[in-house]
Amino acid sequence: MSEAPAVPSRIKRLIVESLHLEGMKPEMIEDEAPLFGEGLGLDSVDALELVVALEKEFGIKIKSQELGREVFSSVSTLSEFIETRT
Amino acid sequence: MNHETVSRRVAVSGVGAVSGLGWGVAPLWEGLRAGRTAIRPIQRFDHTAHRTHLAAEAAGPEDAGLAADPRWERLSLADRFAVAAAAEALAMAGLAPPLASLDDLWAGVWFGSSTGGMFESERFFNEFLHGRWRSARLRDLATQQVNVPGDAVARWFGVTGPVRTVSSACSSGALALGAALDAVRSGEVDVALAGGSDSLCQLTYAGFNALRSVDEGPCRPFRACREGMSFGEGAAVLVLEPLERVQERGGEPLAVLAGAGSACDAHHMTAPDPSGAGAAAAMEAALRDAGLSAAQIDFVNAHGTGTPLNDAAEWRALQRVFGERAGEIPLTATKALLGHLLGSSGAIEAVTTVLCLRHGELHPVPACAGGPAVDPELPVALVLDRPLPLPDARAAISTSLAFGGSNAALVFSRWMGT
Repeated sequence: MSEAPAVPSRIKRLIVESLHLEGMKPEMIEDEAPLFGEGLGLDSVDALELVVALEKEFGIKIKSQELGREVFSSVSTLSEFIETRT
Repeated sequence: MNHETVSRRVAVSGVGAVSGLGWGVAPLWEGLRAGRTAIRPIQRFDHTAHRTHLAAEAAGPEDAGLAADPRWERLSLADRFAVAAAAEALAMAGLAPPLASLDDLWAGVWFGSSTGGMFESERFFNEFLHGRWRSARLRDLATQQVNVPGDAVARWFGVTGPVRTVSSACSSGALALGAALDAVRSGEVDVALAGGSDSLCQLTYAGFNALRSVDEGPCRPFRACREGMSFGEGAAVLVLEPLERVQERGGEPLAVLAGAGSACDAHHMTAPDPSGAGAAAAMEAALRDAGLSAAQIDFVNAHGTGTPLNDAAEWRALQRVFGERAGEIPLTATKALLGHLLGSSGAIEAVTTVLCLRHGELHPVPACAGGPAVDPELPVALVLDRPLPLPDARAAISTSLAFGGSNAALVFSRWMGT
């Protein structure tokens, strides 16, 4: 039986799938790259979409915008947050 | 549209369009001239449960430059139609974005739409309600409001002046143009991007079918055998500017938007007043606004949906306005080729009217096999099969007669160099 994929890879797959990023592969996303603004260029609707997808996938809750901003800065900050909560 | 405030003549300096005949004005004009209908079996969604199965869906390749922009993928179809039509119109006018509110260029957007991104919202609910939450996109839901196509145009081209959406069913596009005309005349703006956009969706497709307003075949405006409208989709944008502004930069106006008028039937939720009084009042208001008499109008771009009631009421309106000329004045019905673009029909028919004036010919509609060319009860001079040369045409009127009895008319005059 193969090992379950690590959290960062699951997050990257979720980003690409739930945001329908055409021409983007999960492995193309760098762990430390900013998700919003410059990096992946995601916007606030993408953020909402991603919150819903992550909440469903990992059973986490992002309770405030401040926390969201912190947690959603990159794949690494997200995966850190998820690993401490699950 | 108050005469006392009229201070500037308003030129159409650019036009852009997306329709069942293709993305762009060139395929539109080519198809219109040929009298080729774009009404075909629906590809966009499963139509088996609907009563009818045809529509004029936007066809052909999207503009590669626009599609390469990362923002493109996030736009609804109605937004893409709007942005593509605006890009084409601005390029034709020789105006380069961003149209931010600089001292010398105060630009605004006036847009009509009936359903905005409803098609995408339907997709959201379809996925969500079938438990496919991963493919249900929140963005699809966010795009639903009718103001979104106009807002998308403002965002894409950096328009920071007034941005306003009119939603009055099938007169939306024409009323948006009328409002833009006022704004340019009064000096509120120097450049107006005016038009409309709507994409095909199941809500309107099912709704009009439930009303038994849709023809099972391609619609046949003004023919005795007509049984209803056909759906279309797309967008049209006209760049409106003061005439002097266009001349100062060495541009050539495509036409002059000479006048606009509107009036309500105050009669019924969907049916027109059969007397045509409201439609005639809108046309007369537009003529007054343009300072022209009915005798000076050389052709009509009719609302001509192909529903038994609309076309009959429109004929009565034409009789009221044109008197004995009603059966003689050349008339076309763009919806026979493009279907009904709902909130953007008034805008695309404005573009059609400008193109006909500019090219000096009126586009035809396909003749029906068998039976008289037009309904003997509504003996309009419908142009059939071949374009009608009108090299001396100087002015034309385009009508939009909507649900709720919302009637609008636009008068365009040919640019004669002075």
